[in-house]
Amino acid sequence: MTRSALLRTFILLAAALAALALAQRTAPAAANWRIDPARTEIAFAIEAVGFPRTEGRFRRFEGRISVDFDHPERSSVAFRVQSGSVDVGSLSFSDYVRSAAFLDAERHPSIDFVSSSVKRIGDSTVRVSGELTLLGVTKPLTVDVAVKPAVSKGGHRLDFHAETRIDRLEFGMNSGFPLVSRDVRLIISSEAAEP
Amino acid sequence: MTALSRPARWSAAVIALHWLSAALILGLIAHGLMMVHGRLSAATTFDLYQQHKSLGFVALALTAARLMGRLCFAAPKALSSALWERRLAALVQASLYALTLAAIFFGWLAVSASPLPIPTRFFGLFVVPNLAGPDQALFAGAAFAHEAAAYAIAVLVALHVAGALKHHIVDRDDALTRMLPRW
Repeated sequence: MTRSALLRTFILLAAALAALALAQRTAPAAANWRIDPARTEIAFAIEAVGFPRTEGRFRRFEGRISVDFDHPERSSVAFRVQSGSVDVGSLSFSDYVRSAAFLDAERHPSIDFVSSSVKRIGDSTVRVSGELTLLGVTKPLTVDVAVKPAVSKGGHRLDFHAETRIDRLEFGMNSGFPLVSRDVRLIISSEAAEP
Repeated sequence: MTALSRPARWSAAVIALHWLSAALILGLIAHGLMMVHGRLSAATTFDLYQQHKSLGFVALALTAARLMGRLCFAAPKALSSALWERRLAALVQASLYALTLAAIFFGWLAVSASPLPIPTRFFGLFVVPNLAGPDQALFAGAAFAHEAAAYAIAVLVALHVAGALKHHIVDRDDALTRMLPRW
């Protein structure tokens, strides 16, 4: 073997090893999907005696959805919602909901959810368990999320939809109870694009 | 003051306050019915409640001004109706003052004692103090009294209007016209 042939073999071997190392590092990791804020809604509804059902949503949030199709349990999700961005349909009503009586947005500017486990429980459903922090109180929360390919726009997109109930008293949000129900319905839908 | 020295008409200030109050009180009754029974959205209902509270305090100021007006300005001469008619008219009018004040007081008390305290911001300008702290029983009682007073006002306004129309159409006297503004 000539000297140049030896060098060529060495370079090829090095390149192959490098490619293998790179492949091992990236292949098993879950991919981060980009959340489309325009197609994401974090909404809630709460009942009260002698008052119409209050429905609202949060206008500002950020989130991370990481999906591993081969190993769903390696998927994860995290959301941070700005409590001050609550919108219940009128300025003065929103101001009141963001006051210390309910969201106390000044002292607790964010509402956070971080998943700790994701389990596939159906063809297009995953069970996401994690922790919800509201008013500085952290409680476990498990949500079933329907996942389906989204139809809008080009490229691969996923549509997520989840509904659950939380007990606001568990987080120390007691105002108006029992006139204002303790159950708060959460409705989260999001669309994310392939990285 | 003798009957002869009394003016022929109500003073302009009393007339202005009378019609402003009439419009506001009837408006508030309709407003209240709408915010409670209107099946509107939560946001609209919330805004109506806040508006209702502010307008209620305007009604309080107008009622106080009307009582002052009655003290400061002479009433026109008594009409030549039967004594029982004059007594009934005076009773209805006095009851209207009393019920208006009662409706405002119980409304203020209900707002104050509400288990869900919502600060009363007078048209967003300043916070009106509460008369009591949150108390479910007091709230329920005051809210009921507020509503009952409002319905009673509606009935008395109907009697008051019927009396004025009776004077105008049947008796053909100036009971109504002397309370009308002169343009």
